[in-house]
Amino acid sequence: MTKDHGGDVRLSGISKTYGSFAAVHPLDLTVPEGSFFALLGASGCGKTTTLRMIAGLEEPSSGTVSLGEQDVTRLPPHKRPVNTVFQSYALFPHLDIFENVAFGLRRRGIRSVTKQVDEMLDLVQLGEQARKKPHQLSGGQQQRVAVARALINRPKVLLLDEPLGALDLKLRRQMQLELKRIQTEVGITFVHVTHDQEEAMTMADTVAVMNAGRVEQLGSPTDLYENPRTTFVANFLGTSNLIEAEVDSKSGGAIVLKAGDGKLSLPEARCSAPATTGGRVLVGVRPEKISLTHADDAGDVPVGRNRITGKITATSFIGVSTQYVVDSSVCPEFAVYVQNIDRDPRLVPGADVVLHWSPAHTFGLDAAQSLLAGTAGSAGVETVEEEAAVR
Amino acid sequence: MALLRWTKRHLVVIAGLLTLGYLLLPNIVVTVFSFNEPKGRFNYEWQTFSTDAWTDPCGVAGLCGSLSISLQLAAWATLGATVLGTMIAFALVRYRFRARGAVNSLIFLPMAMPEVVMAASLLTLFLNLGAQLGFWTILIAHIMFCLSFVVVAVKARVMSMDPRLEEAARDLYAGPVQTFVRVTLPIAAPGIAAGALLAFALSFDDFIITNFTAGSTVTFPMFVWGSAQRGTPVQINVIGTAMFVVAVLFVLAGMVVGGRRKRQKP
Repeated sequence: MTKDHGGDVRLSGISKTYGSFAAVHPLDLTVPEGSFFALLGASGCGKTTTLRMIAGLEEPSSGTVSLGEQDVTRLPPHKRPVNTVFQSYALFPHLDIFENVAFGLRRRGIRSVTKQVDEMLDLVQLGEQARKKPHQLSGGQQQRVAVARALINRPKVLLLDEPLGALDLKLRRQMQLELKRIQTEVGITFVHVTHDQEEAMTMADTVAVMNAGRVEQLGSPTDLYENPRTTFVANFLGTSNLIEAEVDSKSGGAIVLKAGDGKLSLPEARCSAPATTGGRVLVGVRPEKISLTHADDAGDVPVGRNRITGKITATSFIGVSTQYVVDSSVCPEFAVYVQNIDRDPRLVPGADVVLHWSPAHTFGLDAAQSLLAGTAGSAGVETVEEEAAVR
Repeated sequence: MALLRWTKRHLVVIAGLLTLGYLLLPNIVVTVFSFNEPKGRFNYEWQTFSTDAWTDPCGVAGLCGSLSISLQLAAWATLGATVLGTMIAFALVRYRFRARGAVNSLIFLPMAMPEVVMAASLLTLFLNLGAQLGFWTILIAHIMFCLSFVVVAVKARVMSMDPRLEEAARDLYAGPVQTFVRVTLPIAAPGIAAGALLAFALSFDDFIITNFTAGSTVTFPMFVWGSAQRGTPVQINVIGTAMFVVAVLFVLAGMVVGGRRKRQKP
């Protein structure tokens, strides 16, 4: 079976600078044909600029953009086999829905467009609305028109610039599934820009996390979530507990670390920082990986698990789980999410507890970076939704 | 007592009708007197009903000639001012250039300056250039003062236009020309049309600047002014009424089109 890879998007060393400000640092990225690829990052991280360079709406300061074998860096937007779904939808207000969708076909000189447009409107379930003007439709319907208007041209790549940003939460969820369905159905490469980590994880096969004009980490949603390699990724995707620790010794593929007065174990393969004895690393663990045991039952904790003692400072019941904040000597605000299966009535604020988790769920990061990068409090990060972390 | 309450309740309507009456009364008088058959040379007193003037609107020497000149002037001035004004408006909104701020404020000068001052300085300019006063000098003057009104009208529209619409068009295989014709122009059209109508009306009834720059050419407002010294032919009322009716028809047509668009809503 041969594939022409015509839908591969290859960015080689592209960058964009405005005066002395570098919006995008030289970056290499390959989006394989037929994949659903997400560029995730806070506003101002350069993700939209990257997208616009693929569309041709922005000229790269350096580097090249290729679609399959074709170098399109110098092609104007109307000559690229690429279409965009804009954040504001940018539907033509003077044309009805039918003509909006037919626009691309007509510009390419295709005479009989009726059949194609009707089919496309059916795909996005808007057949009834064909003769209405954009302002007569709801936000969700306008969004679907924008998708239909781009998809009808059978582009090699469909670019989506925060397409769900203007919708309310419920509609956004519905459209996420809808877009995923359409992508599977048409098999076109989708490049999706979003600041919503949950959206990126639900929809995309591959996610590139961008920060300050650079790609921090690239991988599948599970890979990024389970094995973050920087504190930015660890905090931006879900929530992480990070502890500063000192490398004590190494044995049998595991690193033993000293944190406070206790010891923690970390598989060497899950440490992205160079771990030399005596050096420092950041130890991370996701809140839902941790078990909580009351101090009275500390003896029941199986051996071989990482353990930390502390005192509960706050609890909040959110239905599917209960979230605890635990004050410990190594980390003042340790977050723990416990599934509501068997609730221990003794776990109330003020109770002494033992936190324990499997060493396999521990990850290690370079200590020479900010603990708070990518958290809700740090600059530029808009929303970090907690729910996605409970998986 | 009951009357007082009734008045209170309908105060807004009464005020509205009074204002409307104030605006329309002169037009009604013009229309009524277009059916008059005056005894002397002045059409100021109602005598008897007659349609003579309506059946022979060009019966007064020079009237239809001046009307034709005014219509031609207005048409050309509208065209010139609309094309130039639209381009200026786009340039001011879309591009950043060195003298942008200065152009932005200078363009309003013709609106702010007393017309008679501008008329006098234009005359000085034309005389110094040795230009032959007439149709072309009037046209140049009209385009000049209509320009700022067109710029204001179009600029307001272009400023509210989402630049993403043009990006979307380029993204959907429309080249630069197609993007302009298919997207930019239709969306800016209401602003351009408003500017053009304004320019037409301003040019058609301008008297002061025209009077200074006309030489021996006589436009319709100048004809009316001139004849008012000697007597007012009924035909002037006929032309005035006809212009009014045409304008009202334009407005009605616009309302019908707009109404039909609205009714398409679910």
